[in-house]
This record gives sequence, structure tokens and C-alpha cells, in this order.
Amino acid sequence: MNDFASLVQFSIAVPIVAAFLTLFVKSWGRPAVQIVSVTGFALPLILALSLWGLYDPSTPGGYAFVSNLDTGLEMIGVSLHLGLNGVSLPLFVMASVVGLAAGLFAAQSKAENLSRYLFCLLIMQGGLMGVFASIDIFFFYFFHELALIPTFIMVGIWGGRDRNYAAMKMTIYLTLGAMLSLVGLIAIYVKSGAESFDLITLKAHLAEIPLADSVQNYAFGLLLFGFGILVSLWPLHTWAPLGYGAAPSSAAMLHAGVLKKFGLYGLVQVAIPLLPDGMGHWENWIVWLALGNILVVGLIAMAQRDLKQMIGYSSVMHMGYAFLGIAAMSVLGVGGVVLMMVAHGLTVALLFMLSTMVHHRTQTFEMNEMGGLAKKAPVLAAFFVCAMMASIGLPGPGLANFWGEISIFLAVYDFRNWLVYAVVAGIVISAIYGLRAIASVFYGEEADEFIESQKEVSVEDMSWAERVPALILIVVMFFIGFFPKTVTESINDALESEPVYAQVEE
Amino acid sequence: MGSELYAYALLAFPFLSATAIAFLFRRNGLVASGISVAAAALILATALHIIFRLENFEFNVHWIELGSFSVSFGFLINDLAKLMLFVVAFVGFLVHVFSLGYMKDDPNKARFFGGLSIFMFSMLGLVMASSLVTLFVFWELVGFSSYMLIGFYLGKPSAAAASKKAFIVNRVGDFGFLIGIIMVFSMFGTFNLTSLSEIFSGDASLLQTASVTAIGLFLFCGTVGKSGQLPLHVWLPDAMEGPTPVSALIHAATMVAAGVFLLCRTGFLMTVDALTVIVWVGVLTALVSGFTAIAQRDIKKILAYSTVSQLGYMVAAFGLGSLVALSGSGSHEHAIVTGGVAAAMFHLTTHAFFKALLFLGSGSIIHACHHEQDIFKMGGLAKKMPITFWTFTLALLALIGTPFITAGFYSKDAILALAYQQDKVAFSALVFGAVLTAFYMTRLWKIAFLGSPKSEGADHAHENGLVMTIPLILLSIGSIMGGFVWFYPEALRPIILIGEHLAHGENHTTVALFGGAAWAIGLVVAWILYGAGAKEDRLERTAKPFHTLFAQKFYFDHLYDWYVAKIQQRIALTLHFIEQIVLSGLIVRGMAGIAGLMGIGLRSLHVGNIHTYVYWFIGGLVLFWVLAVGIF
Repeated sequence: MNDFASLVQFSIAVPIVAAFLTLFVKSWGRPAVQIVSVTGFALPLILALSLWGLYDPSTPGGYAFVSNLDTGLEMIGVSLHLGLNGVSLPLFVMASVVGLAAGLFAAQSKAENLSRYLFCLLIMQGGLMGVFASIDIFFFYFFHELALIPTFIMVGIWGGRDRNYAAMKMTIYLTLGAMLSLVGLIAIYVKSGAESFDLITLKAHLAEIPLADSVQNYAFGLLLFGFGILVSLWPLHTWAPLGYGAAPSSAAMLHAGVLKKFGLYGLVQVAIPLLPDGMGHWENWIVWLALGNILVVGLIAMAQRDLKQMIGYSSVMHMGYAFLGIAAMSVLGVGGVVLMMVAHGLTVALLFMLSTMVHHRTQTFEMNEMGGLAKKAPVLAAFFVCAMMASIGLPGPGLANFWGEISIFLAVYDFRNWLVYAVVAGIVISAIYGLRAIASVFYGEEADEFIESQKEVSVEDMSWAERVPALILIVVMFFIGFFPKTVTESINDALESEPVYAQVEE
Repeated sequence: MGSELYAYALLAFPFLSATAIAFLFRRNGLVASGISVAAAALILATALHIIFRLENFEFNVHWIELGSFSVSFGFLINDLAKLMLFVVAFVGFLVHVFSLGYMKDDPNKARFFGGLSIFMFSMLGLVMASSLVTLFVFWELVGFSSYMLIGFYLGKPSAAAASKKAFIVNRVGDFGFLIGIIMVFSMFGTFNLTSLSEIFSGDASLLQTASVTAIGLFLFCGTVGKSGQLPLHVWLPDAMEGPTPVSALIHAATMVAAGVFLLCRTGFLMTVDALTVIVWVGVLTALVSGFTAIAQRDIKKILAYSTVSQLGYMVAAFGLGSLVALSGSGSHEHAIVTGGVAAAMFHLTTHAFFKALLFLGSGSIIHACHHEQDIFKMGGLAKKMPITFWTFTLALLALIGTPFITAGFYSKDAILALAYQQDKVAFSALVFGAVLTAFYMTRLWKIAFLGSPKSEGADHAHENGLVMTIPLILLSIGSIMGGFVWFYPEALRPIILIGEHLAHGENHTTVALFGGAAWAIGLVVAWILYGAGAKEDRLERTAKPFHTLFAQKFYFDHLYDWYVAKIQQRIALTLHFIEQIVLSGLIVRGMAGIAGLMGIGLRSLHVGNIHTYVYWFIGGLVLFWVLAVGIF
């Protein structure tokens, strides 16, 4: 057990313990629930930040803070093997940041049964921290499910419009995706003969005796479409806008911001390193489907009238960049993807949170029933513009996103020249829907419906309780944008030591 | 050592100002304006220090590294950057001061000045950037600040539309720019401007390759967007929805000229083919927007189209001059300085003075006339606003290139001289453009200033305070003297000197003759056609079809509106519809079928109860666990 490994364990355990505590302290009143849950979100952030500070970037591709706990399943090669490498650490930290913002926002929300809502959210957070800290594939998958199940429950109970349909659809899709990827993972386990679910062991084993071509082929296909559904690869994405549209905002923040990255992370850290030849077979599939994400879904995002759905579609669109960066199979491309995952996680979480704040003021998500909100809520407008600009990759607020995007563009150009034209067209498409949203929500004159709703609900600017979680996200976004090296160094080192990615570089 | 501290300071002042305004003085317009103006003064002082006291320098620090991708944040201060720095800091400061008066009673003054500071930050970063990526980062940021300030009057739907349009049209240009940057990196492995120019000067054959032509043209797309060249010029006239000082600073003097600056920065990689395209885009822009300007009624729109037209001159100047250099000695050093760069930058500088002055003057008028912008509703302003009138007239004389006594004459002469040498067709077109310039400006001048007032606002107009008139006076000095080399301090001379030299080069008599004739014809025709303080446009009656074509701006906006509404939006809606029907309807049902086959059980779906579903799920996990343990 390495030094400080216990910090990793704590950061997974704390939210889960806090989750159960919220149920116990419920009878002490709302403040107690709030304090316990916010602590449950804040501690992992502190722990994650300390780990970030303690991390030695020169840890040669290997994992730091490693611990290995018995589970009683050693006979099938399952153990709770935790640790962080250069790729997982930034995501681990990002998960804790988004978690705290979502937690703060949820704790002061008017949700019914607040303690149960926070219970679900905290369990989800525990799962999220676990996903990125798992070296064992079994637990990698397990933590994902741990985070996913509360999502369904939250959508179904605390969701908005169409919540039952949305929850059902989300459940069908995501379960199918999870099952496909599970079958793929088991296939690797069975066919490799390594008798272990441990990623490091598997990697070493497969480096010596790679899997047969045909096996790699179908196993990768399973993982690609399994993970693909989870990451909303076109045309398997339709659950996402609908689900996010209906999900309560904190759940949407955590899912779109963090949990969705599970699939990409799985491709980057598990599927491609273990099945490099399989990747070759499916390359063209990824390219064409990812283009669907960027161009088709991008255009569909333009047609949206519902603010939250539009953000959902835009998030789906950005996943296309990620898939293409992965397809490029270089340190640059994949590194860009990891950077973008971090930046996108922060941005999309912020956008979902802000759109809910807009909803509190306008009582609707229909964009043509709003208008002129900037006059009444200038601070909210400033935050929203900042977030939207970040999302469309404007260097400045979105400098971190921009770094991710330009790395991917460069990698894509080296991968296939012609692709870059289609991919870069995305920056125009996203500007169109992003600015349309800003204009119709905040600029111009107030729509009649908005004037009507103001008779019942007076519109006020952002309160401090709302500003704090938004500021947390924005500060981190700016920090990573201005000091990208704090993140890219570790990503770079980890990927350089991965033969699959490093070889293309030469 | 130490030089870079001043460059950092140049960025720090506006950045701190914007931050302080955003977080502390959002509601205190007075303090906010004070901070912003102080920052502008400090910027001017620091910029002057860099220009006069410091040698040219380059400074780079690693910013991001990922695989082969590595970007440095850095400053490249050379003669070109110094000249541009001077323009930005000087005009920027005067516009800040002017705004103190212009925005005095605006309730959102703090937001305005905060926006100006963000703009100064971005623009200075753009000017100093040493690599293409850093330049692009600031390039996008100036676009953002422009977006913010165009949409300053939040409640106006037209302002919202204009700001959106500006940003999106610029992004279309940036699409090409970004691809150009990507291609540069893929081909040469660096973004650094100095390294790139060394690569090019080391290998002259590079300028013969088609891929370099492609790079040049893609980078030029950025210019087309930012500097409002055809066919992406449509955003710039609409951008006049912003407060007038913004139009002066951002949409006349500095930001829109950034595209020209970009060309000059990357001039070393422009091939003959790329330059030919650049020349013709510039010439066409100059002509088309010149024609458009003669039929506009809104004083700011006239000036805006004039700006587009003058930017066309600068772009054409860059292309022509670089072509001359390439066809001549062919040496690269030569191409960088003599050719287009000098002529384009010379005109950019003088234009910054007189066009900023024209806009500030129009702002002064609009302010005095209670926001009346139609020139046919003004009239008789000469007597009511003498300082504005006289300074405006000087700037106007410079813009139309009044021979020998104005800056505009010399800088335009340099361009015409290059055109005469390189391409007679382009030369004729540019001379004709000069006729148009003289025509539409004389029209504006005679209708707005002479005669008698034709609206209440114009009748009650009176001169503004010193805060607004002193910047006008200072700029008018630049508008007149800016054409003479001796007006410029030593440090700024190198580029201006070459520009001036071009104007006095061989053929200078012929060129000056044509230039002078163009000036006289335009002026006289307009003088005859329009009565002092006319109430209506005589051109409209005498040449209806032409007037309609010009007044409708050659139907560019109609075309784009049609495309957006009838094509783009329909495609989007159709795709959305298909997705709803096909993907959600059919495939999901199909999925549900598959899911059923996989043993999840269709019935549990119809229960409509999430919990049941979740139990299934947990059950599955447990089953897996048991199986796993059982098998092995």
C-alpha cells in the first residue's frame, strides 16, 4: 500500500457514509441534513486536491496511491484495487469539483424529501469517485452502476416534465449500454486467460500474448457500442437530451458532467490499450458515427426550443469531438480528449445548473417564452454568457475547452486530413445555437408569457447560495485554462507510457 | 531581461480594471469609468515606454504541451507590433476619455467601461502575440468583447441580433483561420511566427507549393471575417448598434484592422496565387461597399461601409505590395517590409486617426441631436457645433484623400502607386473607389452640416463639453499630419517611411494625378447633386434601380437571411423531426424488443415503475457475482 492511498479510499467512502448519515440526521432538521451532505461533498474535493498536489508527474505511467483490498472474490481475480494515474487523476479531481457544486446546489434546492434526494446524490458521488480510482475492471464497472442507479431514481422521482418516459428511456438505453460493455469486459477476462480483472495484470498479460484478431474484433465492438451508448454516440444518443431535460439539475450535472465520461474513460484506459487491433477494425465506424454527433446532432441542437434539451444536444455534439480524438490514437488526440473531458465536465455542469436558475425565474424552459432576462438578473446573465462561451470553446472562459478542442483538431488532421473540415465546422454550428440561446433568453424584449409569469413570481438576481457553486466551477475552468500544464503534464506522461498511443507519435 | 515585464503590465492593467469593475464596482459607474480610463492612461504610458525605450524583443514561456503539440505564450515586439501598439493605445485612450462624456448618463456605464477594458486586454494581447495560437486566443477574445459591446443596449432586439450576427459571421471566418493554423502546425511543427518566418526565408521553394497557398488562403479567411471583407462584411455595418465610441475604437480603428495586421504578421508565407486572391477580394470589397455607402441614410452606416471599403484598400495594398516584392527581387526580407506591409500599415494608421475621429464626431452629433442618426433629418449643424464640425471636416478631408495636405492622401497614394505598378485593372478600380469615397463623404457633409435643421433634435443641438471635444482635436492633428514621416517619432518611422517612399516613388506624378482627379470628380459631382441640407436623396429619383441596389446593400443580407431561414433552419428542423420519429419511435421500440429478448422482460417495462427496474438491475449484478464465484 502506497503512501496516502488511504486518501483515495476515504474520498470514495466519505460520500457513501455521508449518504447514510443524511438519513439518520433527517429528524434533526434541514440544516443538519445540509451540513452532513455538503461535508460529504466537500471532503472528497479536499482529498482530491491534496492528492493532486501530492502526485508526482514523473510516476512512470504507473499508478500512484495504490491500495489493494480483499473482496472474497480473489478466485476470479477480483479485488478492490485502487489507485490513480495521470489520466484518471484530473478526472478524479474534476468529479470532486462538480460533485461539490452539484451538492451545494442540491442542498439549498426546494426538492421534496431533501434528505433522500441528497442520499441518492451522495451515493452517486461515491460511485463517481470510485470509477476513476479503480484499477480493477470489475470495480470500475461496479462503481459505474453504483452511480447510475441513483440517477434513474432521481430522474423518476424528482424529474421534471416527462420524467417517467425519460427515466424509462434512459434506463433502457443505459442498461443496454452497460450490459454490452459488461459482456465485452467479461470476454476480455475469459479470452485472455489472465484470470484477473486487474487492469495492470491484464495489460502485462496481453502485451505478451495478445488476443486473437477475431476476439479483439468482437470484444472491441461490444465495448465500443456499450460505452458508445453511455457516452451518447450517434445515433444511440436520444436518451441524453430527453433524460437531461427531465433530470433534476444536480443529477444532470453529475451525469452529463462526470458519469458520462465513464465510457470515454473506458475506451481510453481499458478498451484501446487491451485491444489495440480491435480498434483498427472499428476505426471507420467511430469516424462516421462521431461525424453524426458533430454535424447531425449539432444541427438538431439548432432546432431546439427547450433550453435544457438544447444543452443536452450540445453536450452530445461535443462527444463527437471526443470520439474523433480517440480515433486518432495519438498522445495528442487522446490527451486532448482527456483535457476536453475535464473541461466539458465543468462547463456542462455549470450550464445545467444555470439553466435551472433561469427556470426558477421564468418558470419555463421554452426559450421563446423568456427574453430580456439580463436586465432583471445581470449577474445570472454574466454567468450564463460565460458558461455558454466556454461551452462553444471560446478561448477565455473556455480556454480549457479550447485547448482540448484544438489538440483534437490537430490530431484529427494528422489522422485524416479531410475530416478536419467537418470537425472544425462544429465551431460555427455551436456558435449559432449557443448565441441564439443567449439572445433569446437574456437579450431583447420580454415575451408575453414571461411578463405573465412575473405577476406570480418576482424575478431576482442570483443569490449568494446560487453564486457559490457556479463560482467554484468557473474558477476551476479558468484555472485549468490559464495553467493547462498543471493537467497536461500528468496526462502526457501517462499516455506516453502507453505503447498504443505513443507509437503513432513517431 | 525585464522587457517582458512591460508587456505583461500592458495586459495586467486592463485585466485588473475589468476584474475590479466586474466584481466590485458593477453598480458604481463613476468609479468604474475612472478605473477604466486610468487603465487606458497607464496602457498608453507603458506602450510608449515599450515603443521608445525598449529594443525589439521576443519572449516566450511554455504554456501547454501535449504530445507533439506545444504552445508558448509570448510576445513578439517588432516594428510592426510597435506601430500597431501605438495605434491601439493612442486611439484607445482617446476613446476612453471621449466615452466619459458620451456615456455620462447611461445607467449601465460600468458594464460599458468594463467591456472596453476587456477589449483593450484582448487587443493588446493580439498585437503582441508571438505565436499563431496565442494570436488566435486573443483574436477570439476581441471578437467576444466586440460581441458584448455591440449588444450593449440589451433591451433592443436589433442590438441582440447584430451582436449575434457579428459573432457568428466572425466564427465562419475563424473556421478557415483555425484550419490554416492546424495546417501550419502539421506542416512545420511550430506556431511561432519567428520560427515560421525563418523556415520560409531558408527555403524559397516553399512559396511555390500549393499547400502553402492553401495555408495562406485559410489564414486569410480570418481576415475576411474580422476585417469585414466580401462576402463576410455583412456584420460590420450592423455592428453600429453598439454605442458610438465602441464603433470608433473597435469597429473602425483597431479590431477590424486586426485582420490586416494578421496578414502583415504572416506575410512571409503568402504565395503569388494566394496574394492574387487577396488583392481581388480587397478591391471588390472596396468597390462594393463604396457603392453601398452612397445610398445609406444613417450616418453611422455610411461610415461603416466606408470603413469596410477602406479595409478593402488595406487588404488590396498588402496583396499588391507583396506581389510587387515577390515578382521583383524575390528576396524575402524585402517582401516583408517593402511590400504590402508598409502600404497597408501606413493606411491602417492614418485611417485609425481619421475614421476614429469621424465616428467620435458622429457620436458627438448623435449625442447632441438626441439620438437622431438619419442625415436627412439633420442639417445646419456647422453653426451649432463648431468644434465637431471643423474636426469632422478635417477627418473627412483626410478620408477622401484631399491632395497634399492630408494624411489620407499620402497613404492612399502609396496604395495606388503599388496598384499602378502591379496591375492596371486593380489600379483603375481603386481610383474609381476613391471617386466613390469623395462622393459619399461630400454628400454626408453637405446634407448634415449645411443648410438648416430639419428635425427638433438637430435644432436643439449644441456643442459638447471638453471631454468630448479634446479627443476630437487630438485626432484631427493625426488625420492631417499622419501622412508625413517627420510627424512620427523615430521608433515608429521604419514602416511609415517605406510607405511614404512608395507614395513618392516612380510614377508618383501619374498616380497623384489620378488620385487628385478622383478626389475632385467625386467631390464636385456630389456637390452638384445634393443641395445644402437636402431633405431627400436626389440619387433616388434620378437613378432608381441603381439606388435600390445600393440601398439594399447588393442584397447580401437578403441572401444570408434566406439561407438561414429557408435552408439551414429547415435542415435543422427536418433532422430534428427525423430523429424524433425514426430514432425515438422506431428504433427505441426495436431496442425495447431486443431488451425483451435479452431477458429483461417487456412486461417490467410496462409496469412503469422505476424501482422494479432497478431491482432487476441489482439482481443481475448479484447473479453475475454468484455465477462468477460458482464457476470458478
